[in-house]
Amino acid sequence: MNRLRALLSALVADWRLQALLVLALLLGAPQLSPGTVQIASFVLIAAIFAQSINLLTGLAGQISLGHAGFFGIGAYCTGVLVKTHGLDVTIGVPLAVLLAGVAGWLLSFPAKRVRDVYLAMMTLGFGMVFFEVVREWNSVTGGTMGLPGVPSAALRTLTILGIKVDGLAYFQLLLLITAATMLAVRNLTQSRIGRAFYAIHISEIAAGSIGIPAGATKQWAYALSGGLAGLAGALYAHLVGYLGPESFALPRSIEVLVIAIVGGLGSIAGQVLSATLFTFLPERLQVFAEWQFIAYGLILTFSLMLLPKGIGGLLFEAPRFIRPGARARAGALHADAAMLRPADQGAALEAERITMRFGGLVAVDDVSLRLEPGRITALVGPNGSGKSTLVNVITGIYRPSAGQVRFAGRDITGLADHQVAAAGVVRTFQDPRLVPHFTVRENLLLGAHRQLRHSGVAAVLALPSATAEEASQLALVEAVLALADLTAVADRPIDTLPYGTRRMAEVGRALLARPRVILLDEPAAGLSEPEMERLTQLIRDMKAMGLAILLIDHHMDFLADLVDDVVVLDSGRMIYRGDIAGMRGDAQVIAAYLGDEAAHA
Amino acid sequence: MNISRRTLGLGATALSLPGLVQAQPATIKFGFTAALTGPFNEFGEGINRGAQIAVEECNKAGGINGRMVALAEVLDDQLVPDRAVQNLRRILDNREIVGLMCPSGSGPTLAIADMIQADGRPIINPQAQTPTIVYPNGLDKPPRPNLFSVSISNTVESEKLAAALAQYSRVGIVHESTGYGVTGAELVRQELVKRKPGMRVSVESYNQRAQDMTAQLVRVQRANAEAMLVIGLGADFAVIRRNMSRLNMNLALFGAAGAVTMPYIEGAGDLVAGTRAVNHAAFGRRPMHAAAAKFVDLYRAKFGTDRWYGQDAANPLISLAATVGSGYDCINLLIDAIRRAGSTNAAEIVRALDQTRDFAGATIEKISFTPQNHVALKLEDLGTYEMLKRGDRVVLELRD
Amino acid sequence: MMDDFFFSLLLAGISVGAVYALIALGLNLTFWTTKTMNFGQGSLMMLCAMLTVFLSSQGLAMALAVIGSLLVVAAFGVFIERWTVRPALQASGGSMGWVVSTLGFGIFLQGVAAKYFGSQAVAFPDVVFTAQDFVTVFGQYVSLQYLVVLAVAVALILALELFVRKTVWGQAVHAVSLDPELALVQGIPVRLLVLGSFMLSSALAGVAGVLIAQIGGTVDPAFGFDLVLLGFVAAVLGGMGSSMGALAGGLLVGILSKLVGGYVSTAAEHGIAFALLMLALALRPQGLFGRPEVSKA
Repeated sequence: MNRLRALLSALVADWRLQALLVLALLLGAPQLSPGTVQIASFVLIAAIFAQSINLLTGLAGQISLGHAGFFGIGAYCTGVLVKTHGLDVTIGVPLAVLLAGVAGWLLSFPAKRVRDVYLAMMTLGFGMVFFEVVREWNSVTGGTMGLPGVPSAALRTLTILGIKVDGLAYFQLLLLITAATMLAVRNLTQSRIGRAFYAIHISEIAAGSIGIPAGATKQWAYALSGGLAGLAGALYAHLVGYLGPESFALPRSIEVLVIAIVGGLGSIAGQVLSATLFTFLPERLQVFAEWQFIAYGLILTFSLMLLPKGIGGLLFEAPRFIRPGARARAGALHADAAMLRPADQGAALEAERITMRFGGLVAVDDVSLRLEPGRITALVGPNGSGKSTLVNVITGIYRPSAGQVRFAGRDITGLADHQVAAAGVVRTFQDPRLVPHFTVRENLLLGAHRQLRHSGVAAVLALPSATAEEASQLALVEAVLALADLTAVADRPIDTLPYGTRRMAEVGRALLARPRVILLDEPAAGLSEPEMERLTQLIRDMKAMGLAILLIDHHMDFLADLVDDVVVLDSGRMIYRGDIAGMRGDAQVIAAYLGDEAAHA
Repeated sequence: MNISRRTLGLGATALSLPGLVQAQPATIKFGFTAALTGPFNEFGEGINRGAQIAVEECNKAGGINGRMVALAEVLDDQLVPDRAVQNLRRILDNREIVGLMCPSGSGPTLAIADMIQADGRPIINPQAQTPTIVYPNGLDKPPRPNLFSVSISNTVESEKLAAALAQYSRVGIVHESTGYGVTGAELVRQELVKRKPGMRVSVESYNQRAQDMTAQLVRVQRANAEAMLVIGLGADFAVIRRNMSRLNMNLALFGAAGAVTMPYIEGAGDLVAGTRAVNHAAFGRRPMHAAAAKFVDLYRAKFGTDRWYGQDAANPLISLAATVGSGYDCINLLIDAIRRAGSTNAAEIVRALDQTRDFAGATIEKISFTPQNHVALKLEDLGTYEMLKRGDRVVLELRD
Repeated sequence: MMDDFFFSLLLAGISVGAVYALIALGLNLTFWTTKTMNFGQGSLMMLCAMLTVFLSSQGLAMALAVIGSLLVVAAFGVFIERWTVRPALQASGGSMGWVVSTLGFGIFLQGVAAKYFGSQAVAFPDVVFTAQDFVTVFGQYVSLQYLVVLAVAVALILALELFVRKTVWGQAVHAVSLDPELALVQGIPVRLLVLGSFMLSSALAGVAGVLIAQIGGTVDPAFGFDLVLLGFVAAVLGGMGSSMGALAGGLLVGILSKLVGGYVSTAAEHGIAFALLMLALALRPQGLFGRPEVSKA
């Protein structure tokens, strides 16, 4: 099965076969009956529509139960512009895409505040409100009577730039648009944008820690998804020629969600197959006559049990997030980890009199800390002493109840986590927060997200400039992989690797985010002896680069010959600051650790 | 509660028979897409049965000039507009199809109307009530050349309703928020104001399947309406009637065609007494006119006293005319036109349909079309029924 | 001055609000244990009402018919948990696949009902009181059928609150809702609780179905779907998982939509509930009675 998957994946990824398939359909379509061509046109529209869900739900992890709204905005926009105002389709359709995209962007503002079931309900509300508005806005949408006579292929009234377009020509046009859309979505998936979408899907906090802003990324996801749905809707309008509100009600939102989920979220080819299946299914199910409702229900009920990852997961390997072209180019480049050295030196991070209260509980109480470039500071203390909370305050996850964080003389208190990361303060987590389905290489490249500055357009079109930029970062990734001894497992998905390897990958990823200050939360926990040595070396390398380093750990042997300063917390209060030798003799520290870590020390 | 299932199976067998005779090129073929399954199949399955009866009757009498007729393409759209469009394309692809019937509702019919007009083959509308299906550019403009209708048109229905409501001076209209409900309410309002300039009409809408209509009803109440008209499905009408009872609201109550259905009569129970509603007059007259009586007998012989026909063999449900009879009339009209045209050429059938004069339909006693008029139904074809309680049964009496 | 117009609307709002609250309660139960909701809940409401009609038409006493139907529907709850929700939750990626599978099962039930009972609306008998039964409050007619719904909703909310706060099993449910894995480690029979929640949720859907069907007077295979959407709105507005919230959310949706329908336009009555939902979530993402999620770093 795995070999079959690999084979099929290689086949669908082969551009020659893709071109051949498109060509065969282009040239073969005239041989089909107009009815088949028309259903095939519906398939293509469903495939584009499903991609909008794939982008939003599959990649960015935001569920939507109201996508018929965007579909309808696209359909009505071009329908009204072309029919009522006599604009050409080449103006109507792009404006429809734009309008639906703007609608998506606007919806993102309330939507990014909620998640899971609440998000599902908010998007459901959007779809229902859209439906009611269309029904009542008689003067524009035709209300319940709908908008008939939209220039369309089915009515043979469609002209594009003065050329008459019949059902067959429209199908061929749709085919080219669909192929272009699929390529664009694939390019997007394998770009910094696709990786960022997936990163916020898995963990918004982890994404923020390497400078990926969850809010702005979601806005992009909604806008792009809305635009794609709008494109599908606009193309639908010029296929059928009649727009009635019932066509944009909840069942269509559900249908597209079903197509996307059964197709396998994340898999482009799976969704095309699923769109084909679910468009032809009702027609085929007619032989079941009165059983067809039952059959359809059963298919939905059990499809996910039988195919947990959808059709895409059954037939194909998991999608990859780095463009093969970029990897090939990176192979020819050589980069040195020394290039990761921060450009400007000499900035210290100062946390001053930080207090963090949760309700009545004081987690951090009036703690001050100073991290100098080229120095390693250890933060130790028993469980629950406020170490992680302090790191969360410094990196912008919590806003402190009192106190101030300054970096390079600039006040960064209360900045969002991704802004703190962008300023050069990067952290790792107590439990590694990587993207489990990404390979080690993809996870590390995710760290370099902020270094990739090419535009979204360049990413979607896979312009050479974008590929070159990705390649140069990939070369750096290669260097860090070597430094962390991860080269051998670089192409393995993270979730198949042991814990220690994941820890090293997370440190590597943080390093690729070009920190000037790095905060490592228990990086040595769970590491084997050789891994520990590797980590020690890596930390020394970072020190040599001039990074300011904060190290949380319990493991005194590990810290002893590594750190320059030690800060000890107990119950949120700082009880010691100084060198490690002094700490061992400090009475308060011994009392705090008595019977616990004292044994190790 | 459901005796019809076995006969339905038989229907399916009958349906597949045309496939067997497909080899004979002489067969004259018809097609249609309708809601044969799914939540709205009451009407779609109804016209399917009506069409089957018409085809069997014709073939038993020797066909059209010796050529057999068949329902060659019968597709299911479940009242989903997209699927109706796809199905119609498939039917139109079959060049052997010479005549069609519209889907069983306004939504899908509106979706396919432009398409069939562009194709040019004759099509007859059994059930969809929205006037723009026949007259897309307004009632005073010419109809679609190849689309004819035997349905209860909103325009005629509203005239009939307005005639009954004109005796009041304050009327409330409560309608469902669909194309059918919105246009129906607007047409009745216009007609009432035209007939009686001082008339005060308040119009309220509700969504299908709404479970509570208090807001609509108290608004009608506040307008001091003396009579109220409901335009919508029977089940929703039942909700409204029960809601009125809860508000202790008593005024003259009128309904459109949807009121004369089992869901209203059963759902509202005893409360239906006094409700007046408009529907086909044909099945309420005694004796029925010959074509209606013949159709009723054919239906009972083939399907028995099922939920379309009702339990009482002597008195079929009034709604049988709209649900099943209209499909029967559509196919018969096509057969008649082909016979008169002596051809299966689309333009010639359409021309023959345009010249239809006093054709004896089951639901409409005399069907006539002209190039300017494609709506068969006339005011006198509709009757106003009053629901009365006789013992523990509800009976409908034709008032005018 | 309290005028009749306003009072009628208010009463209707409270009445339908109680219906939404009752549905929202059923949705809440499974949300407690699995963070999922049955998108096919409407079909269970329909099925229970249909079965009641069927059983009573077979000569069974009304009370027995209702109880029998409730048992069948509760058994379906077990099936839904085992065959639609659990496999979807076990699928990797933490996807919302359960939306598809529970919805699919709802469509399946709808298809079965249409096949065996027909797709036409059938009359539903009066179970408790009739449409003509009312009491007068401040000179206004108040329907007893609606009062029953309100009473059942309030009684169930009180019972559930007591159950969760005062009983060992309630504490266990609370533990499962916070952290199912930890609960399992602590020896709480999580599987049993999850199953129980689905059975109870399905039975509640059945109760709601029977009580609402007798108000409208008919039931058909598509019955319930639209009502469940408003039940969702009520549950989310009140804050998922909060019983008091379900009541507050239901009443808010009911009263507001009736007032908008009465004073602004009946055409806006339906849309307003969803506009309210979006607005409320934008301003207070955790709902009226929900606690804000603590972001865990």
